[in-house]
Amino acid sequence: MDSILECRNLVKYFPGCLALNSVNLSIPKGRIVGLLGPNGSGKSTLIKLANGLLTPNAGQILVGGAAPGIETKKIISYLPERTYLNDWMTVQTMLDFFSDFYENFNRAKAYDMLQRLHINPGDRLKTMSKGTKEKVQLILVMSREAELYILDEPIGGVDPAARDYILDTIISNYSENATVLISTHLITDVEKVLDEVVFINMGSIVLTSTVDDIREKEGKSVDSLFREVFKC
Amino acid sequence: MLEKLLKYEIRATARTFLPLYGLILLLAVVNRALFQSAANQMNLFNIPRAITMTVYVVLIVAMFVMTLVVTIQRFYKNLLGDEGYLSFTLPVKTHSQIDAKMIVTLLWSVLSILVAAASIFIIASDADTLASFSRFCAGVAELYSRYGLHAHLIAFEVVALCVVDFASGVLHIYASIAVGNLAGRHKQLAAFGAFIGFSVVEQIFVLIFVEAFGGSISGYFRAFHYSSEYFPTAPVEIALLGMIAYSAVFFAAFYFITDWILSRKLNLE
Repeated sequence: MDSILECRNLVKYFPGCLALNSVNLSIPKGRIVGLLGPNGSGKSTLIKLANGLLTPNAGQILVGGAAPGIETKKIISYLPERTYLNDWMTVQTMLDFFSDFYENFNRAKAYDMLQRLHINPGDRLKTMSKGTKEKVQLILVMSREAELYILDEPIGGVDPAARDYILDTIISNYSENATVLISTHLITDVEKVLDEVVFINMGSIVLTSTVDDIREKEGKSVDSLFREVFKC
Repeated sequence: MLEKLLKYEIRATARTFLPLYGLILLLAVVNRALFQSAANQMNLFNIPRAITMTVYVVLIVAMFVMTLVVTIQRFYKNLLGDEGYLSFTLPVKTHSQIDAKMIVTLLWSVLSILVAAASIFIIASDADTLASFSRFCAGVAELYSRYGLHAHLIAFEVVALCVVDFASGVLHIYASIAVGNLAGRHKQLAAFGAFIGFSVVEQIFVLIFVEAFGGSISGYFRAFHYSSEYFPTAPVEIALLGMIAYSAVFFAAFYFITDWILSRKLNLE
């Protein structure tokens, strides 16, 4: 079995809206995959289903062959599109929290990244700016030695300089067997790190391809193909 | 994993309760000083006395209100709000999350009662109250010696009833919030509606039960011989057991509903 994430006829609807329309998808191990689509295309819904934060209406979603549960939560490191940090904690407490609950949390790695981004571990999260909180969250998520990293809009709220550092961190920090799934619409920024792309629109998968194929066969960058496919 | 959840749950809530406890005990000491010393004789201290007493009463009320507020807020914010994105991606069982929150609420409620009792003791204890308190203790000891093991059983049942009944009340709130969260919008309103709905169901259940078994139950209790010298312990034990069973049924039902919704029907916005 080579796929780390698999969707079989996955359906999810919300009152008055079909968010995922019978999605079939297989994400191979060891790749960096971009989940790309316009706003409201179903990216976050798919990601939340993988993390067990939503329950599917029909079909299946499997992570490492298992439905979302304790075992899948051990191997997924998830960065949501919002701040989930507990306000009352300091960065230090947050590190303790992660090492208490996740066996694969690498504390040294986290300290190293905090230092690089000039974040003081003693600072309280309450007093931090939104961008700094996002950085802390990303550091926590990337410091886990997980099998699947799911990053929902990882660079949306941070400055371009930090963006580069974060993308470098993503590429350099993950082991060979790990898979990274990045959802974003800032395609130019992430294009250089992606191996594969999945285009999603209106709850359906429009295209799955390797980045090399897009460049060779279509003679285009992912960004220009995206603009073409999702032309308004 | 429950211990770890408990550890962070206690840390998250201690910030609210410990300062409040400290303030209440401090004010109790101040009140005692103003009421029981020579200051009591001086009109000069009338106004400070009124103020410290008012603040003390307000704080006692605030402490119990906070217990309720924190119960609701921790469950809603930490599990169903943004923080739920972290809570529900931890590799722990859903019921451990419920257990941790319930146990910590129970802990703070007991502590709040103890702090309130201690503060009243600080303010009011003098030779007279101490004497009547020791008389009360002596009375209890006498009851114990008279009823022996039965007294222990009844004491145990009373404590068990308090715990189970209180926990079922907390779970009533949790189940209502969980049901409310199933609604697409107006989640708070739906939670409030669910709370009332559960209460109505509980009342109906009691009515049917009384209608069906009320006669035979009161017949059972009337069959005992009661006298002013010796009160039989069996009816008390049985009645308490019945009440524990009643609370336990609702405890189990609310627990099941909460756990089922959070593990099978979870939909975070």
